[in-house]
Amino acid sequence: MRITAPISTPAEVEPLVRAGARELYCGVVPPDWIQRFNTSGVNRRVFGNLNGYADLERVVDKATELDAEVFLVLNAQQYGEQHLDALTEIGARFKSIGGKAAIVADISLIASLAANVPDLDIHVSSVATCRNVESARFFAALGANRIILPRDVTVAEIAAITTELPELDIEAFVLNDGCVFEEGACHTVHLPMNKGGPICIDNYQFEYQATGGGQPQERALRRLEQNDLDYKRWLWYRFGNGFTSAPNGYPWGPCGVCAMPAMHAAGVHSVKIAGREGASERKIKSVELVARVLERIEAGEPADAVRKFAVGLRDAPSHCASGYMCYYPEVRSRQELGDTEGQLLTAV
Amino acid sequence: MTSTQHIPTPDSATRPIELGFALVDERELAGFARHERLTRDDYLAQLGEASDCVVLPDDAEPTHFFLGSEFCEHLLPNVESIDRAVALCERWGLTFGLVTPIACDGLFDPLRAALRRLPAGSEVTVNDWGVARLVQREFPELRPVAGRLLGKMLKDPRLPSATWARMYPNGLRAGPFRDILDGLGIGRLELDFPPFGAADMYAGIDFPVGVRAPYGYIAKGRICKLGSLSLDMPEKFSPGHKCHRECLGFNEVGARPGTHELPTSQRGNTMYYRHAKGMAAAVAEAVNNGWVSRIVLSGA
Repeated sequence: MRITAPISTPAEVEPLVRAGARELYCGVVPPDWIQRFNTSGVNRRVFGNLNGYADLERVVDKATELDAEVFLVLNAQQYGEQHLDALTEIGARFKSIGGKAAIVADISLIASLAANVPDLDIHVSSVATCRNVESARFFAALGANRIILPRDVTVAEIAAITTELPELDIEAFVLNDGCVFEEGACHTVHLPMNKGGPICIDNYQFEYQATGGGQPQERALRRLEQNDLDYKRWLWYRFGNGFTSAPNGYPWGPCGVCAMPAMHAAGVHSVKIAGREGASERKIKSVELVARVLERIEAGEPADAVRKFAVGLRDAPSHCASGYMCYYPEVRSRQELGDTEGQLLTAV
Repeated sequence: MTSTQHIPTPDSATRPIELGFALVDERELAGFARHERLTRDDYLAQLGEASDCVVLPDDAEPTHFFLGSEFCEHLLPNVESIDRAVALCERWGLTFGLVTPIACDGLFDPLRAALRRLPAGSEVTVNDWGVARLVQREFPELRPVAGRLLGKMLKDPRLPSATWARMYPNGLRAGPFRDILDGLGIGRLELDFPPFGAADMYAGIDFPVGVRAPYGYIAKGRICKLGSLSLDMPEKFSPGHKCHRECLGFNEVGARPGTHELPTSQRGNTMYYRHAKGMAAAVAEAVNNGWVSRIVLSGA
């Protein structure tokens, strides 16, 4: 199982690979793109991109020297038809300098890259919301080599896909940056924080209504309000404990390191660390954290011992105990619930 | 590099507008069952005050009735409700359509059971490429429609102008998109009408286009706050657990303080905006010009 890490400058390549990442992903905004289309929207993120092709070449050269692979994100949720040829050319250029794969969500771009840059691997972005076997087969038929699963899946769902489709590489989230909505079904932009930020944490003032009109009954309202408080707490965890790090520098959640033994056993090819826009130090500590867990898994340590080790890594087990910091909370709780068969994980 | 050939559909302006209603809560079928036949007023009455945000052509009368949710795997109607809706549609002389969500693997068997109940020629609104494959392979007698989760576009009601939408255009006219839909046997698109949308924004698309009104969806999650109401850890705010369908009983409505943005609401895992009157007029203009051939009314 490999660690896939984000980069936004060539200087990050060496420390991230030395920390344990074997796969790096990055975005680039070519200057001619901005001139042609009057937008920097080449991928899902406006910030956190490399400055241009020269930086991209430096990244690929350095990574190759260190025996790591580089993937290019072209993962906007959708592109206009006027963009496709330019994006395909970017993919071809990336391949020509030694790039390994493009991370893509838009089905038209997947089809275009598969037809015109056949040597470039295609990784289906989590933004494509591919989270069942049939959907994975659909993307494989389009030419995909890898599926990056969206955030909110269970380990059992991951295992179902890896079992059914061993020919596809499967990548799953393991650390950082939690969307509330499914990325492929969130049709908003992340506004600057002073304009509202991501819509899922914007300052909407909602009031409950009962279906058919009117306020819910008092007892129901009290339950809803308590649920809202729990949800705010979960949101705080979802966004990295208020966008902070543990005292020892490791990032807070969302986190799936406890699920890594199960993912490893299921045949997951890579675990993804999110956060291209983050600081270099955060990226490095993220890779270190995941690598320390992976090292124990690969050494054959029992899953329970690995989970215990993972929970202790940040020196703050109470946050792990909350369960709200987890991508895969069912793994943390299976033993507590006596659900050793994992039946809870497959409920529809 | 990406151009392909496709035979455009005939100008739909020469045909009457199709009108559908999409129902999520199967319990509400009982209210519909009282009608011997359905009229546009019956459809509009279901929307309550929001019917003011819909402009229908004079000749628009019901042609379709849909059941099911685009947004949640826990809201797939049971087969008894599907049977009932199919029977009602036969009585009303309407085409039935089953609406389906993004699916986890655990939903495929219930989906198969549901699809087996549909008469030939029924529509299936698919919002998941895997479900589209399932329909094509196992239910070729059904007619798949690409739902609005597959027709990606920017729909953020907080944006101050149409400039942003131009920066992030949709790909509905792209050749490969067209070819892929053709290959899956999908013959129709169902879309939202976005904030700042222009009447001609769906002109020139080589598929018949239906528009949902008067609510568009902004974003949908798999984690559901309301659906976690009765859950404890570790199920609370995590995927894959049964809920009590609390979203059918409660809704959240509101706005960002100090703004005059579109009215916004959240039901279960999905955020919606409601059309402004100007948007309703733009949809009506699109219908009059044949750029939109169907309106599907639905609540938030």
